[in-house]
Amino acid sequence: MKQTPEMDRIQQEMHPGIITQNGFLGDDSRHLNDMLQEQDAEIQRLGLTHEQIAARLAELRDAGVQGLGQPVRVEPHFEVTADSVRGRLPCPFMHGVTVGKLNTTIRNLASGETITVTDLTIHLIKDHGFYGGHGAPFAITPEHLARFLELT
Amino acid sequence: MDMVLSILTAIGVMTALSGGLALLMVIADATIGRYGPCRIRINDSRDLEVEGGQSLLSTLKNEQIFIPSACGGRGSCGLCKVEVLSGAGAILPTELPWLTPDEQKRQIRLSCQVRVKRDLSIRIPEELFNVHQYQARVAGLRDLTYDIKEVRLQLLDPPAIDFKPGQYIQFEVPAYELTDEPIYRAYSVASGPDQHGEVELEIRYVPNGICTTYVHQHLKVGNTATINGPYGDFFLRDTNRDILFIAGGSGMAPIKSILSDMVHTKNPRRTRYCFGAKAIRDLFLVDEMRAIEKQLPDFKFIPCLSAPDTADVWNGERGLVTEVVDRTVTNLDNLEAYLCGSPLMIDACVALLKKKGLPEDRIFYDKFA
Repeated sequence: MKQTPEMDRIQQEMHPGIITQNGFLGDDSRHLNDMLQEQDAEIQRLGLTHEQIAARLAELRDAGVQGLGQPVRVEPHFEVTADSVRGRLPCPFMHGVTVGKLNTTIRNLASGETITVTDLTIHLIKDHGFYGGHGAPFAITPEHLARFLELT
Repeated sequence: MDMVLSILTAIGVMTALSGGLALLMVIADATIGRYGPCRIRINDSRDLEVEGGQSLLSTLKNEQIFIPSACGGRGSCGLCKVEVLSGAGAILPTELPWLTPDEQKRQIRLSCQVRVKRDLSIRIPEELFNVHQYQARVAGLRDLTYDIKEVRLQLLDPPAIDFKPGQYIQFEVPAYELTDEPIYRAYSVASGPDQHGEVELEIRYVPNGICTTYVHQHLKVGNTATINGPYGDFFLRDTNRDILFIAGGSGMAPIKSILSDMVHTKNPRRTRYCFGAKAIRDLFLVDEMRAIEKQLPDFKFIPCLSAPDTADVWNGERGLVTEVVDRTVTNLDNLEAYLCGSPLMIDACVALLKKKGLPEDRIFYDKFA
């Protein structure tokens, strides 16, 4: 599917070396439009919303922040470590939003799996329904994320 | 036949047009982005003749003037501020989030975002002229914990560095699988300044971190490394006040450097050091700290665990470092606090110390954990 010049500009911002060293697209060659539509369809199939996913991530992040860089146990069986570094990143959707560099590492103690999300990840999911291109750092498919967070 | 000819002609025209456009782009790339020789006047006292076209940050680096930057010139750390008195043009939208109204009035700019296109006049702190680049050899690597590595660098050229204990250097990560260009990251020096020929760093692994992945998974003893420094105003103030150090994780590094210097200079000040960790496996250099307790007349190391593992045998302080400080630090009348760790920890500690009545001008911190 074709996409607008504005979407082209946003996708350009997502390439490596523009906002972050490795970018947001990984080795995904699809148009951003297509990624957004496919990720949105995936969320709908799961009977969820982007806001629900982002809200759960934000809830875990907020709990992790209380640990001041140390891991915090969160019911039912998550271990969360929030760690920030100096700086802010602009949202690649270019709407004037900048987000602090806070990384949240979440370990699902039941499955043994660990994921790391950034505050920009949470913003991109909540406000834009974007989960990253295949193979991009911090990218995770909606289905994988929903399963990891035990929302399905 | 006519149709075939038409198609071939169309293909020929398209190819010629594409070739022409490509040639134009090559010419444009080689000419439009060039601004010729420019002059940068620094602090009204020295001039640099440089080639225009690059960012001010890169241009100064090429002239061996190093402005601290933690994001590799992407405008996302806000650290590379310099005063640009003329020649920079209007402030860019990418700079605005980093500049207070007062800084904008004072013509402060992010040097990574200002492109050198014409003559510039800038003002930078004089101490930046003391920042040099050093070639070094990795003399030692040691796992301090499962995620913190000690890196010992032997300086080769120049062979020695002068720094104040507590300051930091920038470590160059060469191009490798996670970065296609060299980038710099800032780390506090952990060794004392009496070890002029050696620099010790403590680097915690961060998932997907470009520098930390390089150090933890690729760096080997004997490798060469490039650093520049020293930077920063996190160092022990020359007063007679009591000292409270608070650190967590690799925030240990500058405190260790300051303590090494205190031992070296036989500093008698009353000193307490609260170090926060989750469990015993996150503690490190405890024996070294206990040894310093014996070498300094009034020093106490107070490690505290926020969530010891079930197998941990621990009779020391428990709780977050803020809780331990709140419990154990009662008299702040004659106190100075020095904090190093994650920004989250520092923000929480600053808020606590201010709430307990410590004036803000007696709290010093370094968020580059």
